[in-house]
Formats: sequence, C-alpha cells, structure tokens
Amino acid sequence: MSSKMVEFTVNGKKLLAFEGLNLLKYLLDNGYNIPHYCYHDSLGADGNCRMCMVEIKGKKRPQIACDTLIKEGLEVNTNTPTIKRLREEILQMQLRNHPVDCPVCDKAGECYLQNYYMDYGLYKEGKHKKQKIKKSKNIEFGRNVVYDEERCILCKRCVRFFANITKTNELGVIKRANHSTISTAPNQKLQSQYAMNIVDLCPVGALLSSDFKFKQRVWFLQSSPSICHGCTKNCNITIDYSSTKFQAERIYRYKARRNEDVNGYFICDEGRLSYKEYHTNRVTQIEYKNSIIDFKEAISKIGIEIFIHKDIVILASPNLYIEELESIIKWSKKLNARLYSPLECYKDKEFADNWLKEELRVANAYGVMALEIDTSTPDISSDTLLINFDHKLAQDINTLHRIDFITHSINSQGLILPLASWVQSSRHLINSSGIKQYAPKTLVANKPILTVTEWIEAIGGDI
Amino acid sequence: MSKKVKKVTRYGNSTKERLYLPAILEGLKITTSHLLQNLSDINSVETLEYPEEQPTDITSRYRGLHRLTHRADGTIRCVACFMCATACPAECIDIVATTRDDGVDDKMPLQFNIDTLECIFCGYCVEACPCDAIRMDTGIFSIIGKKREDFILTKDRLLSHKGVFGEEISRA
Ligand code: SF4
Ligand code: SF4
Ligand code: SF4
Ligand code: SF4
Ligand code: FES
Repeated sequence: MSSKMVEFTVNGKKLLAFEGLNLLKYLLDNGYNIPHYCYHDSLGADGNCRMCMVEIKGKKRPQIACDTLIKEGLEVNTNTPTIKRLREEILQMQLRNHPVDCPVCDKAGECYLQNYYMDYGLYKEGKHKKQKIKKSKNIEFGRNVVYDEERCILCKRCVRFFANITKTNELGVIKRANHSTISTAPNQKLQSQYAMNIVDLCPVGALLSSDFKFKQRVWFLQSSPSICHGCTKNCNITIDYSSTKFQAERIYRYKARRNEDVNGYFICDEGRLSYKEYHTNRVTQIEYKNSIIDFKEAISKIGIEIFIHKDIVILASPNLYIEELESIIKWSKKLNARLYSPLECYKDKEFADNWLKEELRVANAYGVMALEIDTSTPDISSDTLLINFDHKLAQDINTLHRIDFITHSINSQGLILPLASWVQSSRHLINSSGIKQYAPKTLVANKPILTVTEWIEAIGGDI
Repeated sequence: MSKKVKKVTRYGNSTKERLYLPAILEGLKITTSHLLQNLSDINSVETLEYPEEQPTDITSRYRGLHRLTHRADGTIRCVACFMCATACPAECIDIVATTRDDGVDDKMPLQFNIDTLECIFCGYCVEACPCDAIRMDTGIFSIIGKKREDFILTKDRLLSHKGVFGEEISRA
C-alpha cells in the first residue's frame, strides 16, 4: 500500500483511498455489505470461497474483491444482476451437501451462511432436495474445539490461523473434492493455548466450543464490550450474557474483540474461559464470625474496629480500577493507615509467553504502579487491623483483627463484606504498555452489591 | 397511484344521540326480549351443566394442554432448539438443553417447563416447532392445582399426555 491517494468509483460513487489497498477491506470498513467467508482482516485474502465477487469495468468476468487492489480510475460494481446471480449460485453449491441443521446448530443467529442465504439465496427449495453426502459430526479436535465436517464450507480460516498466526500448523485440509475436510495430523490433538480463537474465526457452525455448546441460543445473548482480567495485557473482549424470566443474569462466554493496539483480534484460551470465575464461590452476604449480620451492624462494627486500632494496614487488589484505587488512597490518608498492593503473589512465570499472555496475572497492576502504591509485602503484628480489598495475599495472612471486602469467599473469621465484581462496575485500567482503557459496567446483580467507592462512602458517614 | 377518499359520516351529534337515554332503552329492549324468550322455553338455552356435563364438541383443531411427542422408537422427539420458546409471546417455555448421548440425536432438553398460568394457548409453539415435537392435541381443556407449581407442565408431564386424535408419534 502506498501513501498516494487515488480516486475510484464504487456503484457510480466517486471515492478516495490509498493506492494498493485491498478492495474488499476498503468496502467492508466503509459499510458495504459484501458477502465473504475466507477473507479475514487478520488472515488476509485466500481467494477460495469466491463469495466476494464484484464487477470491474474493463474485466471480462467478475473478479473477487479480496484479491483486487485499489488503483486510479477503478470502476467497481457490487450489485449488478450478474453478481446477484453468482452469489445465489455459489450459495447453492455451498448448500449442496450442507446439513442445514440450524435448529440444533449453535452458530445459528450469527452464521454467515445463514445470513447470506437470507440476503442473497432464497432460491426454490427443490434445488437442494437431492441426496447429500453424509460426513462425521462432533469430532473432538482437543482444547475444547469440536468440529462438524458436514457444516464446514472449507474457507480455511482455521487452517490459516495455525499457519500464519500461531505458526504451529496444527490443521490441514485432507481428501479431495466433495469429501474434503479439515483435520489435525493423525492421532494428534490441538496443542495451541490460543486454539479456541478458531471458533470465533469460523464463519459457520463447523467449529464450536464444547464449553458453550448447547448452553444458550445466541439470539438470547446480550453483548457488552469489556476487558479480560486474566493478566496485565488487558485484552479486549466481548462479554455475552443473558437473563431470562427463569434465570438471573449469567455470563455464557467471552469472545475476542478487535483492538489493534492491544490484542489484535485474539485472546488466549485461559482468558476466554475465565468467565466461569464470576459465578463460582461468590460472596453475597455480610458475615461476622460466620453468622449473617445486617448492613447497619456491619457499618458500626467497622467504625469500632477502626477506632480501637492504632495500626491499620489496607491491602488493595491490583484488580481494582483506577477510580477505586484513588478513593482507597484518600481513605487511607484519612485513617492514617498503611496502604499496600503487593504484586508478587500474582506472578506466574509459566503463564507468560511471547505473544499475549503476561506474567502478572492481574488486570490493573500497572495502574497500581502509576498511582505509586507500595507494592511490597506489609508486616502485620498482632494489634494490626487488616482491611482487605479483595487482595489475594489476604487469604494467607493469619490475623484476628480483619475486615474483608471480597468478591469470592476466602477462609476468614473476621468481618466479611461482599464486593461488586469487576463485571459489575465501570472502570478504567492501565495495561503493561501504559494504555488506559475503559470497560463499562456489564451486569447488575439482582440484589445490588456495593463497589469499593460505595462502601467507602457508606463507611465515611459514620467515622 | 390515485388516492381513494372515503367519506365517513360522523355520528353522535344529534340531540337524540346526545341524550343517551334512547340508545340505552334500545339496548334494554333487546335484553328484555331475550329474557322473556328464555323464560318461556328454558330448554332452548345453550348452557352446559359443567362439570357434570362435559363438552362433546372438541375437535382435532382445539388447542388443549400441550404434549411432547415421541419418535417411533419411543424416545423424546424434541431437539431443544428453542424455536417454541423464541416464538412464544408469553415467554412461558423454559428449556435447558443438554447433549444427547444415546446416539439418536445430538441434542435434547434436560428440562422443559411450560407455565400454564402464563400460557395464552395461542399455539405458536406448535407452529414454530420444526420437528412436530410439541402439539396441543390432547383435548385437555382444564388444569387444576393447589399451588403455583402444580400448573407448571414439566417434561415428564408433557411426555405423559396422550394425543387423542390419532397421530401419537411425531410426523417429522
Ligand atoms: S452452519 Fe449455519 S447454515 Fe449451517 S446449520 Fe449451522 S447455522 Fe445453519
Ligand atoms: S472449519 Fe470453519 S474456519 Fe475451518 S475451513 Fe471449515 S468453515 Fe472454514
Ligand atoms: S401456546 Fe402460545 S403462549 Fe402457550 S406455550 Fe405455546 S406459544 Fe407460548
Ligand atoms: S418442542 Fe420443537 S420447537 Fe420446542 S425446543 Fe423442542 S424441537 Fe424445538
Ligand atoms: S473472501 Fe474473497 S474469495 Fe473468499
């Protein structure tokens, strides 16, 4: 791509773009609805699906847009009768042996083939009444990926992911013609720690995640942009959740969200599956020495504890967001307390790799450093009052005088106060490259749970 | 396209109409004439002495309580595709899907509840089902219970209902 701007026309409209830019990329980025399977921003063009056909003036036959580069004077037509007929015919071929089991296919609702059929197919039913070739279903590829041979349209996105992105070449196309299918090497399973990305990449329901399979139909899901809290990389994700009349809000899956500056198009499998943590082991009630107490009692207990202790240590989790950390800093100054946010216990050397995964397995460690909070481990004597804001280290500290604001239950005999999880608050985080990102509040619990700032406000009135 | 204009007469502005009383008397006249007619011949009144007398005119098109159909091999036909739950305007169908491991199919419902207190018996679920797995041809027109839970048709209850107009097994 050169830096020269050239003029070209699409459907009679004059447009400006950089010379040498991929035509399909330009069209897709500018809101043209061009059907395509094999082209993907991260994988580039492969030219095998033939779905992205456009007519170009001066060329005898329709051309694929993903293999056309923009140049001066190019005249493109995307909606001629020929193109429409071609799209319909290509769809007929793709559906020739397709099982069309959409009612039990988890992709239905976000399937390219289904959408394109509704947009460009809709041909008379009789055309696919012929006997179809039967292939295998439910082939376990390993790493939570399940493959359905019948639904595959052989766009090779998955193959190219392992060839170009992870460079581990774990999948390939075997057999010929109508019998072609995707396969791992004989007796091999997928190994990559990023394998589940191919489920996002697959345009149809051929690759599904066994973790999400049959859990929920996608049209019941709501999506919210968010940030993965698995490590300091802060990969961008979409949280898919739903709440029905019969069930409280529940997260069903995380998907990778495109952000060129942070994670590109992908996330690691561990991060993807970390949605499960939200629902397990949550603290929902205020407890004191293992019995439930009410809010007023708790607030007065906190007041008393703070009043009778001279030495107070506050532990703040590096998962808290910038605004929360700031209010903790203010509060600790008011209480004359020592504030720490040790990072050592979040380190996991084995987790780190040289792509996305990073050693510090906590979201806002760099925010803690930016706010200059002490990251060393505090010494706690028997008269020290420990106020813990969801820090991992607190579960290993053995002290009688403690107040725990926690999201997930730990072994503590003191005062336990439920804290909103990160999905339940809107937040700013700083990642390892110093990028400050915003994640909006996604879930609201049935019984509202207070965030750090709200707790401090509530206590502040009484002391 | 030329526009068609239809002139509508406005009623209700004459003195007679604004008095209301004439219209009320007109209505009472009809009611009274029916009353007198019924009193003169009590047997002509179309009344069913329910529940001693049961209705006899329930046809195969009558939308009774739901049932889940079976396959020829006796197993459940439903594949838990959620089409009925999606179509249901009362949102009263609660399905939890699971993997089916008896080799008959891929997917089936682990739980299938219809809350008949919320159901409006519209029959959309029957129409939406791609595999004739749910039907309303049981002829059952009443449901009795003492608690709310008694009105929830569970999967087992739905499977136990019989179709009374033939076609016991799913057609699909
Ligand atoms: S891949 Fe798409 S078209 Fe094929 S069965 Fe699944 S939803 Fe339907
Ligand atoms: S499995 Fe999906 S991504 Fe891979 S070739 Fe088939 S359709 Fe394309
Ligand atoms: S009959 Fe109508 S309201 Fe009742 S379950 Fe079926 S779709 Fe829902
Ligand atoms: S009853 Fe029919 S529509 Fe409803 S989930 Fe079962 S198969 Fe799908
Ligand atoms: S997207 Fe161009 S050929 Fe597949």
